Amino acid sequence: MVAIPKGGLIISPDGRTATLEMKKVPVVDQPKWPALDAVGMPAIMSFKLIWKATDEKIIYDDPQKQFRVEGYRAAAQLEAQVEVPSIGFSWKSDPLAESNANFAILGDEVNGRYYNPMKQSNYLNVS
Amino acid sequence: MSCTDDVRSCYTRRSFLSTTLGIASAGAVSLLLSNDVAADNALPDAKLRAYNGDTDPFPIPWLDKNGSHNQPAGPQMEPSHIYHFKGQVARCAGFVGMGTDNRGNRIAFGTRTTDYGFMQGEYFAGRTPQAGAFTHI
Repeated sequence: MVAIPKGGLIISPDGRTATLEMKKVPVVDQPKWPALDAVGMPAIMSFKLIWKATDEKIIYDDPQKQFRVEGYRAAAQLEAQVEVPSIGFSWKSDPLAESNANFAILGDEVNGRYYNPMKQSNYLNVS
Repeated sequence: MSCTDDVRSCYTRRSFLSTTLGIASAGAVSLLLSNDVAADNALPDAKLRAYNGDTDPFPIPWLDKNGSHNQPAGPQMEPSHIYHFKGQVARCAGFVGMGTDNRGNRIAFGTRTTDYGFMQGEYFAGRTPQAGAFTHI
């Protein structure tokens, strides 16, 4: 998890589009993750990622794990480039429009001390 | 296997001897140090710390299967990696796309573990609400 620098995340006023863009983020390239013997190498990554909400509403509510998410399924597209200096490797994706994600969501969440269980009647309104 | 491939095979009798001499020399030097220098090497007093007082986000307690405090994105799965959090979140996974490496090879990207997300809002840490924006990449 990395702190997002100021200006790196832009969310539209209606909350239905989010753009996350970061440059030269230090990461670990670990192709065999999550294998226990996965070797990690220092790498640098730049990327731009856009979420656009669809009209499909979601509510995930789990009183046992104390979290609730309300939002929308979304379409997500990514463009990125990665450098692994120690092995002289770099890679750049095709433009943003050429990618898509099988799963994406965008919304609001509360958990832990901010969580309050929903009333049962509220569940009945959600398909 | 060459000597450069295996550190242990480089450990010859000659290097063992030089190592032993090095240790012996260091021991001799320490015996010759003045009391002032020896005092400088004394361990510092233990620093008092307020544990549970950090302002960093607190991870979701049960999400530590791989030691990275997160889980793949998916339906009914919690998007946030921060516990005691309220704010805007987004997650995505299962990317399908292509790219090109520095040798001109076309390489696809995207697996179930290729997931991204952000959390922006308020979280509770250091016994007080904090504000921040974080990404998982």
